[in-house]
Amino acid sequence: MTSSVEPISLSQKQASNDTGIDREALARLLVEIARNVDPDNHTLYEGVPAADHRLEKLRQLLVGGEISELSRVTHLLDEPEQLATAVGNVLPEATARASHTQLGEALAPAVERAAQRSIQKNPNTLTDILYPVFLPAIRKSIGEKIDQTFQSLNESLRHIFTWHGLKWRLEAWRTGTSFSAVVLKHSLIYRVEHVFLISRASGLLIAHVTSQDATSEDPQLISSMLSAIQDFVKDSFKEKESSGLDTIRFGELRLWSEVGQFATLVAVIRGNPPEELHEVIRDVLLRIHQESSRALERFDGDSSQLPGVETQLQTCVELQHMDSKEGFPWLVLTAVLLVLIVAGGWSFLSWQSAHRWQTYLSRLAVQPGIVVSDQKIRGGDFYVAGLRDPLAADPQSLLPGTEVDPTRVHSNWQFYQSLEPEFVLKRLSASLAPPDSVRLSVIDGRIVAEGEATTTWINRARAAAQQLSAGGPVFDISGVRDVSAEERWQAYVSRLETLPGIIVADQNVRDGQFYITGLRDPLAADPESLLAETQVDPARVHASWQFYQSLEPQFVLKRLTASLTPPDSVRLSVVNDRIVAAGEATTAWINRARTAAQQLSAGGPVFDISGVRDVSPEERWQAYVSRLETQPGIIVAQQNVRDGQFYITGLRDPLAVDPQSLLAGTQVDPARVHSSWQFYQSLEPQFVLKRLTASLYPMDKVRLSIVNGRIVAEGEAPDTWIDRARAAARQLSEGGPEFDISKVRDVSPDARAAEHWQYYVSRLEAQPGIIVAQQTERGGDFYISGLRDPLAADPQALLSGTKVDPARVHSQWQFYQSLDPKFVVKRLTASLSPPKSVRLSIIQGRIVVVGEASAGWISRAQAAADQLSADGVVLDVSQLRELNLAELNQLREAIQSTDIFFSSGRVVPGPEQTPVLDRLADQLKEFAENARKAGVTARFMLTGHSDITGRETANASISAARAETVRALLNKRGVAPELLLVRGAGTFEPAVPENENSRTGNSTNRRVSVTVNLE
Amino acid sequence: MLQKKICMLGGFAVGKTSLVRRFVQSIFSENYLTTVGVKIDKKSVAFPDKTVDLILWDLAGEDDIGSFRVSYVRGATGLVLVADGTRPATLAVALTLRERCEAEFGAMPFILLFNKSDLTDRWAIPEGEIDELKQRGWQVYLTSALSGEHVDDAFRQLASMVAN
Repeated sequence: MTSSVEPISLSQKQASNDTGIDREALARLLVEIARNVDPDNHTLYEGVPAADHRLEKLRQLLVGGEISELSRVTHLLDEPEQLATAVGNVLPEATARASHTQLGEALAPAVERAAQRSIQKNPNTLTDILYPVFLPAIRKSIGEKIDQTFQSLNESLRHIFTWHGLKWRLEAWRTGTSFSAVVLKHSLIYRVEHVFLISRASGLLIAHVTSQDATSEDPQLISSMLSAIQDFVKDSFKEKESSGLDTIRFGELRLWSEVGQFATLVAVIRGNPPEELHEVIRDVLLRIHQESSRALERFDGDSSQLPGVETQLQTCVELQHMDSKEGFPWLVLTAVLLVLIVAGGWSFLSWQSAHRWQTYLSRLAVQPGIVVSDQKIRGGDFYVAGLRDPLAADPQSLLPGTEVDPTRVHSNWQFYQSLEPEFVLKRLSASLAPPDSVRLSVIDGRIVAEGEATTTWINRARAAAQQLSAGGPVFDISGVRDVSAEERWQAYVSRLETLPGIIVADQNVRDGQFYITGLRDPLAADPESLLAETQVDPARVHASWQFYQSLEPQFVLKRLTASLTPPDSVRLSVVNDRIVAAGEATTAWINRARTAAQQLSAGGPVFDISGVRDVSPEERWQAYVSRLETQPGIIVAQQNVRDGQFYITGLRDPLAVDPQSLLAGTQVDPARVHSSWQFYQSLEPQFVLKRLTASLYPMDKVRLSIVNGRIVAEGEAPDTWIDRARAAARQLSEGGPEFDISKVRDVSPDARAAEHWQYYVSRLEAQPGIIVAQQTERGGDFYISGLRDPLAADPQALLSGTKVDPARVHSQWQFYQSLDPKFVVKRLTASLSPPKSVRLSIIQGRIVVVGEASAGWISRAQAAADQLSADGVVLDVSQLRELNLAELNQLREAIQSTDIFFSSGRVVPGPEQTPVLDRLADQLKEFAENARKAGVTARFMLTGHSDITGRETANASISAARAETVRALLNKRGVAPELLLVRGAGTFEPAVPENENSRTGNSTNRRVSVTVNLE
Repeated sequence: MLQKKICMLGGFAVGKTSLVRRFVQSIFSENYLTTVGVKIDKKSVAFPDKTVDLILWDLAGEDDIGSFRVSYVRGATGLVLVADGTRPATLAVALTLRERCEAEFGAMPFILLFNKSDLTDRWAIPEGEIDELKQRGWQVYLTSALSGEHVDDAFRQLASMVAN
């Protein structure tokens, strides 16, 4: 379809605001658009008007909104107030979005100026703002300062009196520093073992440095845990941010942490660090922050971003202060020592002599009657002055034993009378001379006299008591009974009257004088001597005694004995007041006795001599001779009496009694006897027997006796003896008594056997460890019993070579333990089984153990030694050294920390446990081998455990089965089965406690654990 | 040395500690959990070009979310959310804990573990629900501390998520 339209004709009118528009181009564009809408539009533009108002309208239509918005914005930008409001609305957001560094840099000068200005204007504002920040910081700083002061005070006090203290004082004086500073410098011994730099944001470890040979667990975990604990404390106690947990102390270890902006530095210090270390650590932290602030802030766990930090931390670890050994002032020390030795020696000597002197003085002080008033030591000499009682000990005599040189003691003693009771007592005893009936004693500081005394003595004592009363001790004489002279006289007289042979005729007392008269037998007691025993003054006694002969039987007996001198064969005695003589006497003595009896008959006691038989010499001789004749071995040939002399001849056997000895007691005067004896050998059986006994030396088992005039030998004897006895019997056969030896049994074979036996016994007795208690031979058999040490030689074996028939030996041996060192050593070797590194030897009867052994073995040896010492055997274990078991212990710990785990309900460990089992087997073998070398046996207890699911009985059997399985698996890996012990613990020894309601059970508890036992 | 702090979150008795115990390096006693409320363990995951040490903060599992110590999560770069597959409520707890962390410290990568997958008879999380979670782009694993199933995979996944 073709349509005809008017060509577009652009307004020629120049619009007020369309200048600059390429009208031609616009017209072309519009025609193009029109064609696109209607392809049949063939409008052409012809000529373009200079201006067209429609254009303006079009513009309004197209971009009118934008134009008004633009004008609003232009207006906004032009008006400062409105612009400020608008920017103010977006400023916080814009600041937040701005790059931090750039914003910081841009703002810094303005903020600084603003702060400056604010302070100038009113400092309080900023102080108020910063107050919450400063306060904790100041508080912390003051706290540290106080700690520092206390520490220095403590240390100073501790060392103020020690040798170090002296040395350090010198150093303080020399260097011009304070004493406490020097003390701190020397006494603080510490070592920084670890330094952790920990990100504050995440708790991740940035860097970790450790000192040489310090060990710790995984530092990453530690640093996280440290920051967790810091968080924990912070949360728990509502502490403000930034004040970190700055000190944790655990025994020797201290953790010091210093909190920075982005990172916390934690130092682990062993020992006693000075407070200044805080500052050092803080400096390091500060330096790290200065150098790597941005990297720290952005730290995301990649420590490679912070390369130089470790070097910085290293400086902390190098900070350590051990007790310095360098530059020790040996020379000074030597000089000081020399001076000290000389001074010490001198002061010791003077101290010693002063000490001895003091000992002497204290001896003097305790002496009664010695008062030391002054004493001094000057120039090595001792001066002492004081008072001494003449009755007191001599001060000089007290010197020996005190080691004080007497020549250097200058004493000046004044005598005085001590009023100490014992001295007063001595003086009273000397001056009053109390009679025996008076006893003086000191009771509670008083002198007490007790007993009986005469009035005069009592008066003297009273005078002494009065004298003493002035300052002295009390002298109490109230206990002395006054025995007047008359009383004592009467006592004396009545005593005399009771005495036999004394007759008191008269006695009286006149003017204090005593008179006595009476009779006394010379044989009676002497009245004078009796007087001495009484307290009667002999000078006042006037005695007049007449001698008389008392007719009392005992006096008469004495007198008769003295006058008649009866022979031994006569005995005189008093029988019922009669004097009776009995026995034998010669006619002459009997005549004298009869005369005496006649004299006595006038008033005296009867003297009865009818019991004395008259014996004449001839009679007595005949009695003697007949007695000789009855003696065997004595043959009286002839005897006669001529002119009062006695003659006798005959034979006597040397073995018979001596005739001379028989003479005594016969009352025959030996001077009148003339004997002549010839020796001969009597063949009377008893003499023959004696001679045989002497010549044959019969054996113990042969008994000789006389039976019906024959001499009979009975018993047992060896053939040699029997031969000799037979020869003797032949000799005797000529006229002598018969000697019958038929009853002697020949015991030679037995005797020889016995000899052999004795040899065997003596051999046994010489054996160490064998004690023969009893041995006998009976019926040709030998019985022996005793003790034998199991380690001693076998008694049976010793029989060989002794010719003793073993079949005839009956032994009974009890085993015992010999204390002979050799046996003790054998036994110890068997019982203690000492390791190869230990040697037992006997040195001078003592058992000495030398070498190295485990502590367990040593304590067993010690126990054995203690036991043996009770038996008197010395086992010296002092030279044993303990074997170093550190390595073994480490291995043991490794073994004991190993567990084999199991799946639920399984008794065979899963394949993942294979490496654990392999390692465990190797460790067990190594341990067993090392233990063996150290002389101990290692055994390993495999304990099976189960979790708590299921029935208890089932758990018990599962746990045991697990242990058995592990044992088998270890055995398969070459661990000797006898070293492995097995037990099931069921649920009773859980590694971790389990909730009873747990249905799955705790896998940690399904395990087999290992414990190591050393035997 | 590249390390990342990872927090393990989950309700009471979901088995976080068991997961950690068997598969990681540990030097601290489990007592820390009850005393300090956190126990720290390490899991090293090796990649061809690097090794990432995951420092695992095992936070004490508590059903009382109010007492959760959120401050322990500061600085963490990833989370391990642990729920008990036999107790659906524990999923809600884990997710709430995550929300609390993200509210405090912003979003961070995480993995979600449904633990105790060995207890199939008592399993209580429908398959559909797990699929739905996976469709959100979440890394979800069914793990068993007992058998070790998927545990290593899960940690490896998390390591790769936080290391890049």
